[in-house]
Amino acid sequence: MSTAAAHGAHADAHEHHHESFIRKYIFSTDHKMISRQFLITGIVMGVIGMMMSILFRLQLAWPDQKFAILEFFLGRWAKGGVLDANFYMALVTIHGTIMVFYVLTAGLSGTFSNLLIPLQCGARDMASPFLNMLSYWFFFLSSVVLCWSFFVETGPASAGWTVYPPLSALEKAMPGSGFGMTLWLVAIALFIVSALLGGVNYISTVLNMRTKGMSMNRLPLTIWAFFFTAILGLLSFPVLLGAALFLIFDRSFGTSFYLSDIWLNGVGALENVGGSPILYQHLFWFLGHPEVYIILMPALGITSEVIATNARKPIFGYTAMVISLMGISVLSFIVWGHHMFITGMNPFLGSVFMFLTLVIAVPSAVKVFNYLTTLWRGNIRFTPAMLFAIGLVSFFISGGLTGIYLGNAALDINLHDSYFVVAHFHLVMGSAAIFGMFSGIYHWFPKMFGRLMNNTLGYFHFWLTFIAAYLVFFPMHFMGLAGVPRRYYAFSVLPEFNVWLEVNQLITVAAIMAGFAQVLFLWNFFYSIYRGKKSGPNPWNSNTLEWSTPVEHIHGNWPGEIPTVYRGPYEYSREDREEDFYPQHIPGDDEGHGHGAPKTKTAPVHTEEAPAATGGNVLFSALKKVLGFSPR
Amino acid sequence: MKKMMFGWSGAKLLLWASLLLTSTLAPLSVFAQADPASDVIPAPKEFSLSTADLVYYAYWLLALLVLLVIVYIFNIGAASEKLTGRTVINWTKVNAWLSIIFLVAGSAGVAYELVYHGKLLLPEAASAHGDSIDNMFNWTFGFTFAVFVITEVLLFWFLFKYRHKEGRKAAYYFHNNQLEVIWTVIPAIVLTFLVLRGYSTWHKITQTPEPKAKQIEVFGYQFGWKARYAGDDNKFGESNFNFIDPATNELGLAIKPTVVALRDTLMADTGRLGNDLRNLSSMLKTKADQLAKMSLAADGKAYTDLEREMEDIRNGNKASELRKMIKRKGVQIQRINATLDSKDVFNEAANDDKITTEIHLVKGQPYTFRYRARDVIHSAYMPYFRAQMNVVPGMMTSFTFTPTKTTKQMQDELKNPEFNFYLFCAKICGSAHYNMKIKIVVESEAEYNAWIEKQKRVVDPVQPATPVAPAEAKDTTANPKTATNRNIKPSLAMGF
Repeated sequence: MSTAAAHGAHADAHEHHHESFIRKYIFSTDHKMISRQFLITGIVMGVIGMMMSILFRLQLAWPDQKFAILEFFLGRWAKGGVLDANFYMALVTIHGTIMVFYVLTAGLSGTFSNLLIPLQCGARDMASPFLNMLSYWFFFLSSVVLCWSFFVETGPASAGWTVYPPLSALEKAMPGSGFGMTLWLVAIALFIVSALLGGVNYISTVLNMRTKGMSMNRLPLTIWAFFFTAILGLLSFPVLLGAALFLIFDRSFGTSFYLSDIWLNGVGALENVGGSPILYQHLFWFLGHPEVYIILMPALGITSEVIATNARKPIFGYTAMVISLMGISVLSFIVWGHHMFITGMNPFLGSVFMFLTLVIAVPSAVKVFNYLTTLWRGNIRFTPAMLFAIGLVSFFISGGLTGIYLGNAALDINLHDSYFVVAHFHLVMGSAAIFGMFSGIYHWFPKMFGRLMNNTLGYFHFWLTFIAAYLVFFPMHFMGLAGVPRRYYAFSVLPEFNVWLEVNQLITVAAIMAGFAQVLFLWNFFYSIYRGKKSGPNPWNSNTLEWSTPVEHIHGNWPGEIPTVYRGPYEYSREDREEDFYPQHIPGDDEGHGHGAPKTKTAPVHTEEAPAATGGNVLFSALKKVLGFSPR
Repeated sequence: MKKMMFGWSGAKLLLWASLLLTSTLAPLSVFAQADPASDVIPAPKEFSLSTADLVYYAYWLLALLVLLVIVYIFNIGAASEKLTGRTVINWTKVNAWLSIIFLVAGSAGVAYELVYHGKLLLPEAASAHGDSIDNMFNWTFGFTFAVFVITEVLLFWFLFKYRHKEGRKAAYYFHNNQLEVIWTVIPAIVLTFLVLRGYSTWHKITQTPEPKAKQIEVFGYQFGWKARYAGDDNKFGESNFNFIDPATNELGLAIKPTVVALRDTLMADTGRLGNDLRNLSSMLKTKADQLAKMSLAADGKAYTDLEREMEDIRNGNKASELRKMIKRKGVQIQRINATLDSKDVFNEAANDDKITTEIHLVKGQPYTFRYRARDVIHSAYMPYFRAQMNVVPGMMTSFTFTPTKTTKQMQDELKNPEFNFYLFCAKICGSAHYNMKIKIVVESEAEYNAWIEKQKRVVDPVQPATPVAPAEAKDTTANPKTATNRNIKPSLAMGF
């Protein structure tokens, strides 16, 4: 196992030992390579997820139309060119699963946590590069298992991405609850292992491996966001693992955690009594709600960094930003019940969850106002990354505000499981997070691949996607307010909803437009990896530490000593400086007061001379730090 | 730059990619007809190009045009930049203006939505509590829409106003406690207001007892709904999922003869399954003979199905499946037997219950819908009444509301004589999730009384106890325990 110390020693002597192809590109322990692996797997899964959405959008817009070509690709799932109702459910389910877990959790947080935590903290690599590698490969395995479920006879899981039992627990309840469902559960279990390995690693790296002078209050907001995200994941994913295991038991070993009093068509009365389907929902949403912040917070962190860099201004209210991230993290654990207002849960609990849910709006509002003030009197450079960051803020506003409706138990009675919900979460965590991801990709592409992406294509990509996303999701609010339920294959028995057919067609066309825009992105991305314009070491004139590394990737990140940090990350446009930026590692007398941070009182946390010896030690001392005492 | 980044080859590739995508995704009756395998695909009724089709093509054309424009602008721009060395397009300016255009067009879009799609929204609530929900909605909308407009306008305005200019330096402005306190406190106050109001609305709807409420049971199953009225005694009969028989007792009511008949059927089934289990080897032989007479080419799926059945017998799957079924039915029989003597369960209250395929309500009368699910979670959604509640197997949920408009009134109000209230499923529940609704009729008391008179009682008062097999039923009621034991034992022995 290669350790951070070993990297350091080698790097000092500029010794580039030869690595086999497999060690370098496949089973790599280098965080930069792992981040690229996460990104590319995430993009592949994203393309799959998006194509699925276009398929079911076609069905919603032209339910009677025959698309002969679909039969060619999908066979019996689209007999005569009309999507099968079961397959429609499967598409909806797998689209959700892929987007939530594989693209926006692993693809976003996996990519950028891996890339930026060591680089922005000033570390040679992750606390445990080996666990890091395992984390990727568990994720990869999980993706393969999930895609495999498309090739089983009864089709992939199709009980919705939340896979509520009894529907998901009973093999005979629908075709998708057969072997496909088992594969879904296995895939999720593997995914959780990956997320936990990653999370442990991120936390210990942030706590223990920061360079000299990098006190917690000098961390870029990206790192803060990744840090809280990892904590959320570490505390909530195990609960989902438990939920999934119980479901596996119910499905395969005859237990009754979630089952009671069921008479199933084609089977008869089941033996199971005493369980509760609502238990599953509690367990699921105990992860499920933090999960939306696991998705969103890295995107918010990226946005903070990108906006400050490109507005050439210190981020406004650094401390407030950190505190609101912390507030969101804590609150996100105690609001899960707002997904369950009308499940028959005690209405008193509903009132409690309503109160807690609406409290989250306060830190979110603070974040938005701080973004706006950061832009105010800035000197805004329109890089594609900046545009996507602005897009995120816009979606965060419009999607976040509808959360105030859905968090209100009384309003949720009529909006629950309607298109209003679809519109809400697609804007606030779907579009917003994916825009954060794009922003990150455009911004750190030079760091990842040493080349620049094409700006012009980036602008087209942004504007087309931005407009299309609003065209897709904005009208859905109105459908929801008219009582149109989600996950409907067709409105044949409720013809009154056919007045929305025209709107559905508009949405589908916009969705296809968004699909086209992603072709521009994919072209730009893969072309630029090989043929893009070569980047300088600091193409955006940014302050943070990652831009002090050489353009070519080397083991251990810095050829010499790890630079010392002298000030906060957002010292842009200082009056006393000629240039409008002031990198963290450039020595200077003054501390800077960009975020009102006082002179650091703590000694440098981690230095070159005392490297972390093993992964185990690092984890142990991380634990010590979190607990605040030494167990000895 | 030595080589132009996206040369003509790049442009061509993009063009081809888009053409390919366009043609593959096109729906087209045209394509379907031209398909060589058209005998497999049912041919469309007739070929015609409707306006919708044309609009559809127009969309595609537009998308294609946009792409072409992109490719061209890009090429020309790149080429002339290379020739003259000057920037042709000032992207800062373009993006700044685009954000203003987006702001204006977006506002127009929002206005259009509010006016045009706003008309398609639900009409005024048809229930007493619905008004309070609508009221709550309006308050929330007022606040959030104001915030939405202000923040979005500021966002795009700042983008325009503070766009990059050469030689200008951004303000070094990082912190202002006062400001931050203000915009923490203001949202906090607004949200406190919304929470308090929301709490009182929620409390009023869900936690206020309605002593005069009449109960109606709504039963959800894959895929449909049934309603049950308590009948003349105003008391629902007991029900149990073990009593369910889709032919004679779909709600699983405690009606002794029916339940006894069900138990006997189950016992007969277990006996038959036990026989099957014993005779698996001869069954395999029969199937093998049958298979020998068939051919894959002629019988296709029937052939492969048979093959699979034989495989299941050989590898023991069939046997374990049979054992499971025997065990499951055995448990059900035991559970039925355990309740058969209970006077609390079989209290005759179910006899005058009425099971209906429509829900009829009297205007102004409060109702409590008590929900039961047979198999998976459903959700009973009635948007016009602003009512929704999940229907969960294993637990009873309920929702209380008072309808305030008759169906007739709604038809007049919406100028739609076809209008009807429906209760439909909003929780994903299987393949035909989208096919699950029950009609609700709100009417006057007289109309309701006329309708409910016509509904059949579960047990006919004139000829009581006439389920499927009366003779057998009589026999077994006499001595249920022994009957069970006699019939069940051999099969259970096989089962375990």
